[in-house]
Amino acid sequence: MLVLSRKIGEVITIGNSIQITVLSYDRGVVRLGIEAPKSVPVHRKEIYEKIIQINRQAAKTQLMALKDAIANSNIKFSHLIDEDINSIAIKKLNNKE
Amino acid sequence: MAKKRVIKTNYFGELEIDEEYIFKFKDGMLGFEDLHDYILISEESTAPFKWLISVDEPEIGFPLLSPWHIDVYYDPGINYDLEKQVLFVVITLEDENGEMSANMKAPVIFNIEKQTGEQIILPSDKYTTNCVIAKKQKTIKE
Repeated sequence: MLVLSRKIGEVITIGNSIQITVLSYDRGVVRLGIEAPKSVPVHRKEIYEKIIQINRQAAKTQLMALKDAIANSNIKFSHLIDEDINSIAIKKLNNKE
Repeated sequence: MAKKRVIKTNYFGELEIDEEYIFKFKDGMLGFEDLHDYILISEESTAPFKWLISVDEPEIGFPLLSPWHIDVYYDPGINYDLEKQVLFVVITLEDENGEMSANMKAPVIFNIEKQTGEQIILPSDKYTTNCVIAKKQKTIKE
């Protein structure tokens, strides 16, 4: 790992298009300003890890479990959404039969 | 003409899929970076939920739901084309209390024209990764 010391207001560049500025430091909290192209996603690592954990849990959902959960829950679906838009892919898939 | 692939799924039996119906996820789903090919299945008994099934590992399947079923004002705050793209959120069941939650922060976006898909993390802090959408009712009628 590359370790650099920076003062408030100083900048680190990564490649040609990413800049990280140290904005402030207060009681153990560092505020950073990050400039990066839109194509480079920038996120707190915890969010990223949380989503991975959620995906792993979701990926093993059983059909019966979801069926039961729907039946036993108080869930109400909004009918205001445009179903046609959300079922394009499905229709296409079902057409193969 | 179109190439076909046969996959054995846990819940939907053996499926023969035309290659053209496969959605290519260049970066995979988060945590599943090695799985790039998926199909989207509509199963009547769990409608309006859909299933995103991995073609390479068909035991892996994500329940998906339109975020607008959960929140009619859902605004991902990103540019996307309603004509070409369809957006879903990943649903998880909590084992212990029968809660159902939706990851509103990281929707899955399908491009219908290109047959591609990707899971993105929204820049906005407006949405959470585990928005509770259903609780198990305490009394279940016989």
